[in-house]
Formats: sequence, structure tokens, C-alpha cells
Amino acid sequence: MAIGEDKWRLTTRLNVLRVSVAVAFGLLACGFWFYQVVQHAKFKEMAENNHQRTLTLRAPRGIIFDRTGRLLVENRNSFNISIVREHTKDLDRTIRVLAAVTGVEEKIVREVVDRHRREPSYRPILVVQDATLAQVASVTARRLDFELPDVIVQEVPTRRYPDQEMAAHLIGYVGEASEDQMQSDRVTTGSLVGQFGVERVYNKLLMGEDGAKRVVVNSVGREIRTLEEIPPVQGRRVQLTIDYAMQKAAEDAFRAYGYFGSAVVLDPKTGEVLTLTSLPAFDPNDFATGIDRTTWNALNTDKLRPLQNRAIQGRYQPGSTFKIVVATAALEEGLITPERQIYCPGGGTFYGRFFACHLAGGHGYVDLRHAIEKSCNTYFYTVGNMLGVDKMYKWSEKLGLALKSGIDLPNEQESIVPSTEWKLKRTGERWYPGETISVAIGQGQLTVTPISMAVMMATVANGGTRVVPRLVKAHDEGKGWEPVKVPPSPFAPFLLKPETIAAVHDGLWLAVNGAGTAGRGRVAGRDVAGKTGTAQVISNQGKERARGKTDRDLRDHGWFVFMVPKDNPELAGVVFSEHGEHGYFSATVAKHVIETYFAQKDGLPLPVLPPPVPVAPPVRTVAATGPAGGTH
Amino acid sequence: MFERRLYHHIDWALIGAVVAICAIGLAMIYSTTGGAGPVYWTQVYALGIGAMALVLCLTFDYRSLADKSLFFYLAMMIALVGVLFFGAVRGGSRRWIDLGSFNLQPSEFAKATLALMLAKMLGEERRAALTNTDLALAVVLTALPFLAIARQPDLGTAVTLLPILLVVAFVAGLPMRYLYTLVLLAVLAAPIAYKFGLRDYQRERISTFLDPAQDPRGAGYQQIQARITVGSGGVWGKGYMQGTQGQLRFLPVAHNDFIFSVLAEEQGLVGVLVALGLYLFVIFRALDAARLAKDRLGAYLVLGVLSSFTFQVVYNITMSAGLAPVKGLTLPLMSYGGSSMIATLAGFGLILNVRMRRFTN
Repeated sequence: MAIGEDKWRLTTRLNVLRVSVAVAFGLLACGFWFYQVVQHAKFKEMAENNHQRTLTLRAPRGIIFDRTGRLLVENRNSFNISIVREHTKDLDRTIRVLAAVTGVEEKIVREVVDRHRREPSYRPILVVQDATLAQVASVTARRLDFELPDVIVQEVPTRRYPDQEMAAHLIGYVGEASEDQMQSDRVTTGSLVGQFGVERVYNKLLMGEDGAKRVVVNSVGREIRTLEEIPPVQGRRVQLTIDYAMQKAAEDAFRAYGYFGSAVVLDPKTGEVLTLTSLPAFDPNDFATGIDRTTWNALNTDKLRPLQNRAIQGRYQPGSTFKIVVATAALEEGLITPERQIYCPGGGTFYGRFFACHLAGGHGYVDLRHAIEKSCNTYFYTVGNMLGVDKMYKWSEKLGLALKSGIDLPNEQESIVPSTEWKLKRTGERWYPGETISVAIGQGQLTVTPISMAVMMATVANGGTRVVPRLVKAHDEGKGWEPVKVPPSPFAPFLLKPETIAAVHDGLWLAVNGAGTAGRGRVAGRDVAGKTGTAQVISNQGKERARGKTDRDLRDHGWFVFMVPKDNPELAGVVFSEHGEHGYFSATVAKHVIETYFAQKDGLPLPVLPPPVPVAPPVRTVAATGPAGGTH
Repeated sequence: MFERRLYHHIDWALIGAVVAICAIGLAMIYSTTGGAGPVYWTQVYALGIGAMALVLCLTFDYRSLADKSLFFYLAMMIALVGVLFFGAVRGGSRRWIDLGSFNLQPSEFAKATLALMLAKMLGEERRAALTNTDLALAVVLTALPFLAIARQPDLGTAVTLLPILLVVAFVAGLPMRYLYTLVLLAVLAAPIAYKFGLRDYQRERISTFLDPAQDPRGAGYQQIQARITVGSGGVWGKGYMQGTQGQLRFLPVAHNDFIFSVLAEEQGLVGVLVALGLYLFVIFRALDAARLAKDRLGAYLVLGVLSSFTFQVVYNITMSAGLAPVKGLTLPLMSYGGSSMIATLAGFGLILNVRMRRFTN
């Protein structure tokens, strides 16, 4: 074979190689052009998503103070430990290591992760809320060792309630926003919003504005530098109308004597709530970092219902306290004068049936003042009968005992005072005049909440202005305290006749300071005016039957309503104690609160709670024969 | 030996392009490793040693080197077999001879040695056409180092030996029907090889290449990140040391296998085209050396060295753009790697050698 042919072949094949290489490089150039020019925008975004993170900086909620400037709710920093799956190579391993490091059960961690598996992978899955410092330290150490690069520790502001259970129902608690709340409060997943009490109602004031931080992170998620930071704005400071010392006095008294119940004290001139308590209570701190299921279930299944705000949701028979309404109504309607005397022989017969007074021998001739003082049933049977149920209803509503008080708390229950219309609507039956007699002394189908009782007392105290109780005095965005605008009262003002006010106030003063049933509410030099009442848990006949057969507490509930001082009252309120019988105990609580109020006002040391006094056995002078058996 | 007039025939343009590529590589290593760290300095030393190796390979006439090719080949085989038994283990494979201060990777030197061996064997053949016996011998000579390297295991480097055999046999007159048969066989055997011939991790790499989204955190990760790295660079790039993908380690081994991706990220399409142009220039210049070579031995030697180099360049750049399965193949002259740099520069010494001596007898 010739050399020329050989050379020719070499040249040809070299050219083939040259062309192949040129084509390969051409294709490569096209490839880079396609990625770097045509699809550049897409990849640029992907690269940014790779290394840029937007972190939410949670805004601390506003601090809450009482009316004297004492701190009720503040914030503390807590640590959340979360998994960010974005760069996780082996989620299983991460879960295992994290569980081991934090001491949380692996099963629980897995459950939490599974629950959020469908969410975008850049969104942190919160595994340990409010981690202990030991947990934070051990996780951080592993993170630096690249053992847990996909686990982050975040510092978040968390609610702290220094007085734990105190005023829990009124202050409320926070929790993760539900779907609806995310809409209405305009927040994102994982945000904490108020769920109960003032925290809920004034959420918009209290909730700050979350900030954001855009950072550069490397491939193991470590922050390299901050690109942009929008600091969070703390929520407004809020001042409540609550008086810390009085609130504490009420709760201390309940706890010291081992009773549950509710106390509400209002400023009768303004409707500002000075005290609002409901016991048993719960610790809102349990909710601050997400309540665990056990505690939540325990709170929900507890027979004592600690989550119920008895002040606005508990409905009880008013008993003898209703006599204040009947007296006021009869005077205002002009049916009686305060001096009108009615003879009490120990009961009376109405519509062919005998209704007993609690004093078997009778009170003799009593006028209105003494009828209130001694809580004479016969007097009020008679006056109630003159009024009729619809007039009683009319005045209940005017004074604020019926329906809702309109307090700025959610889920208030309506107080029920019957009327002919109400009964017809409810049962389809007409009203029997005999029923009126029971209602006149606060029994029968009559159930009211402590808050409406307090409003009624305030109206009687201030002489006819029905106030709307409210809890917030002022708020501050950082420019000083701004008083909360009070919407005008929706209730038409009316004035009670001076003689009505004088007579009712006198009667209530006598009940406390005279020969009445409320002597335990007496405070030297302070002219407390008040009235006890009993709410039957079960009828007297029933009580006899059930004796020894049930472990339910069958003792009656006790009321004490009050205003102080008698002339130009500064306080109007109610204490309701479950199974507190006749209100003696309630009067004791009220007395402590009243003493605290005046001591604080005069700058004196706060009173010390007296040691528990055994509750006097019920004065039962008459065999239980009628529905009125145990009412004082 | 080295005569003064040879000096005038040295291809300075080729050297210039090679130096330029090395400089770009060094700059990218500096960028991805965050300054003049140990990696950077190792590369600088490797460049120095590589330059000496280049001069060494240039000094002796390639024909006298070819005469000793069998000796070199045997020495290489001893080193390759030796490394299987005594080599240092890193990342699950034995590839390195531990020489105290640095490690030597003998498989990198296998390429030039094989090129020399095949050039000698086929280029000094009197007959013009390639006989079957010659072909069989060439196959065996390639298969021995191939198997030894594949055993390490380092299939990537082993595969770079195949273009040497193919290209040298091709220009030596491999009948076209053999070539067609080979292509046909490869197509038919591919599924069988995929099923039985590959290890699990290798299969995984290929299947995730076809669909990286099936495992975005695992094997598909590097490929996705490579595309993001390249694509986010745009036309002008993010600027030197301003890349996020390489700098923040989203792209693994950025200074090594994926150095071209980082170049694409920081210097953009412009930088890519410049680098591609340089490589193309180097390859075309070397092809010229083959064409101009005085004898077949010289031409085959140049093509042998060049084929392995070109294959690796094309494969690595394709992989850098996420267009090929991820394989531990470096980009010659740019990637970090001492043995690779020294061996590649030595290879260019041989290419320059052939061109320089095209007029000598």
C-alpha cells in the first residue's frame, strides 16, 4: 500500500476527529446558552431559594397592667426547636438523633413530623416548644458539629403570667391561630393569637406586627449574613380596669376557705370592672407555649369545669337578692310607699296555696326597709303578687339583671328572668299567677349570672344608670396612655326616685349593719349595704330523698350582693360561692375585698385575711314545705 | 537530545493556551476554597512539578522514549497492581501511593504511558493496514491497566483509557465495519451491562441522571445543584468570588469535579465561552501537531494523549452543566488534583515534543 494512501487516510480520519470535537464543543456551548440565557430566570430563583431564607421575627405581645400600673402579663423569651427539612438528607436519622439529644420520645417526634409532612419543606416543623436550656445547649452543640444541620433553635417571645391562676378567666390565654383566626386576625400559620378573655377580645391591640429577617445561609443551613431586617413591632401596652389588690383579695379569700365561685366588683359610676374572678381557675402559662394534650383533656373533663368563666357563664337562681329588684320595681311603679307595712304571720296564702316565710313565727308588721333587712318572704310574696311577673321582668331588664351585661368578654350567657311572653315562647304554656309568688323571692325559673347581678347592683347604687361593664381602661402604642373610647351606653338612662334609692339603700344597709342576715359583710365605718341570697342546688324534698345516696355536694349556693358606701357608692358587686350556703361566706369574701379597697385608697397596709370561721349551720326554723323553704 | 534549533519549533501558542487554562483553574480554586489555603498551594506546587514534567517529556526525543515504552508500560502495571495491595484508601477505594508529604495517583499516569505504548506498537508497524493480530494485542494492552484501575475501584479513570485505544486504532486504519459492530454491540449490551455489570451506586447515578427529581436530596442532588449553579450565572456571571452555589457549598467538591460549574456561575456564559474556546484551541492545535508529525509514531502518540484529554474535558464540562451522570472525573488543567495536573502537563510535553521534532531525522 502506498504511503500517499496512508497519509490520505490519516488526514481524513483526523478531519473526522476535528469535526467531532467541534460539534461536541458546539453542543456544549448550546447547552450552556440554554441554561444560562434561556432558563436563567428560573435557575436564578432556585439559587436564591437555595441560599436565602426569610425568617419571621415574632412580635412580642403587649404588656398588660392593672389600673394601678401593676404588671399582670409580660413576655419572656422561650426557645423553640424545629426541623427544617429543606436540606435534610436523612430525615429518619435527624428524628432519631434529635429525640435522643432532647430526651423527647422518638415516637412523639415522628408523629409531629408526620403531621406536617405535606407542608413546604422550608417551613420549620416545631418539635420542642419552650425547650429547656439543657435541650437548647445539646442541640446547638450538635448543630455546630454538623450532626443536626437541619435542626434550628429559635428564640421567640412567649407570654408569661406571673400570678399564674389569678384572673385567668378575664385575662385569658393565647394559642396557635386556627384557620378562621388566620383570616380574621390576618396572621400566618404558627402565629399565637389570643384565644380567651382579654387576650382574645383585645387581640388586635395586644398583637404586635411580626418582623422579618432575610438572611443568607450556606448549604448546611448556617446563617452567613443578614440581607435585610424588618424589626418586629411590639403590641400595645394595655391597662385593665382591674385592681390587682382587690382581685387578689377576692381569690385569696375563696382559696383560704376552700370555696369555688365567682366575684365581680364594679365601679358603679363607670362600669369599670375592678374585680372579676371565677374559681376554680387554670394556669394560662400552660397555654403560653402550646398546651399539652393531657393538661387540656384534664381541664376539659374536670367536673368542676375550671375553664368555665362562672362570672359570665355560670347561671344560678338569685334567691333573696332578687328582692332588691322587686322592691325597686314596686316603689318605681308606685304600688307601694317605703312606709307601707305588711303583716307577716310566718307565711301567706296565694292562689289557694300556702307559701312559708323562713321565720316560722313571722316578722309581724314590716315596712320595706325592714323587709329587706330581714329578708321577709311574706312581704315580697305580697308585693310581687301586686307587681305581676311582667313588671318584675321589665325592671330586671332596666336594672340590668336580665339578658346580657354586654361586658367585653366572649361567650357571655344571658341571664334569664321569666315573663309571660318568655314562658309562652319557651313552653307554649301560659303563666300561672302562682308562679309569680316564687319568682318574687328569686326562685323558680330564674337564673342569672354574677356579672348581671353586679350590673343590677351598680344600677341600684348609682340611681338608675345601667352601665356596661368593661375591662380595658387605656392602651399605649408608645406615645403615652390613650384612654379607651367608651361607646355610649345602649341603654336608655332613667332616674330612680330619690325615695326609692333612699329606701332600698337603707334596707340593704340594715341587712348588713342591723339585724339582717349579712352581718359578716360589715366593715366598721364604711356603711356597707348588701344582701345575701341562696340558690338552691336541689329542692328541699329532693335533698331529703338524696341524703346519703349521692356524693354530689347538695349544699346550696350562697350570694352576697353589695354596694359601699351606702350613700354615693364607690363599689357595687357580687360574691357567689358554690355550696357556700346562704351567703355568709360570700359576705366574708366581700368584706375582705372592701377592706382591701379602702386600705389601698387610704394608703394603709392591706388587710390580712382572718382565719376561717366555720360557717353557721343553716337557720331552719320551718319544716320544708314549700319552694320557698330555704330562702333568706 | 535538546538542540538549540528545536527551541524555535516549540509551539508557544499551545503552551500559552495551556497556561491560560491553568491560570483560570487556579483562580477558580482560589475562589471556591476561600483564598490561598492548602488546596490552593498544593495546586501551585503541582503546577510547578507539572512544568518540570513537561520539560522532561519535551527534552528526550519521543522516538527514544517510544523505544522504552515497554519498560514504562511494565513499570506502570507494577504500580497499578501494587496500589491495589499497598495503596492508601480514601473514600472506599485504593488509588493512591502514599509518598509522605503527598499522594501519587498512578492511574493518572497510565494514560500517557498507554498512549506511548500503543503508538509504538501500531505506529512502527510496517504494514499500512491494521491487522486483527495488532488489534487484539492493542486491546489486551489496554485491557490490563483498565482492569487494574477498575478494580480500585475507579471506573471513571479506567474509562478514560478507552478513547486512547479507540482513537489510535481509528487513525491506524481500524476497518469501519468493526466500528459499526462496536457501536451496535454497545447499544445492545447497554441494558445487560446496566443490569449485571454495574454496582448499585453506579446504577443509581445513571437512573437519577435520567430523572434527578426522583431523589433530589440524594444522588440527584449534585446534578440539580450543578444546573442551578450554571443557570443562575447568566450571561455575565455573579462576579469573581460572588457565586452563592459554590461559595456556600450547595455544590459539593466545587474546586474539583465541578470547577467548571463555578466558573459558569461566577463568570457567566462569557467565561464559559472563553474557557471552551481555550480548550478547543488547545485540542485543534494538538490535532495540528498530529497532522504535521513526521511519522506515524508521532501522530499516534499525539492522538493517544489528546483523545484521553479531550474525552475527559468534554465529559466533565457536560457533567458540570448537569447534562451527564455525575462521575468522579476531573477537568484536566483546571480541577484541583496534583497527579492529574502533573500527568496532563507531561502529556502535553509529549505533544509538544512530536511537533517540535517534525523536521528532525
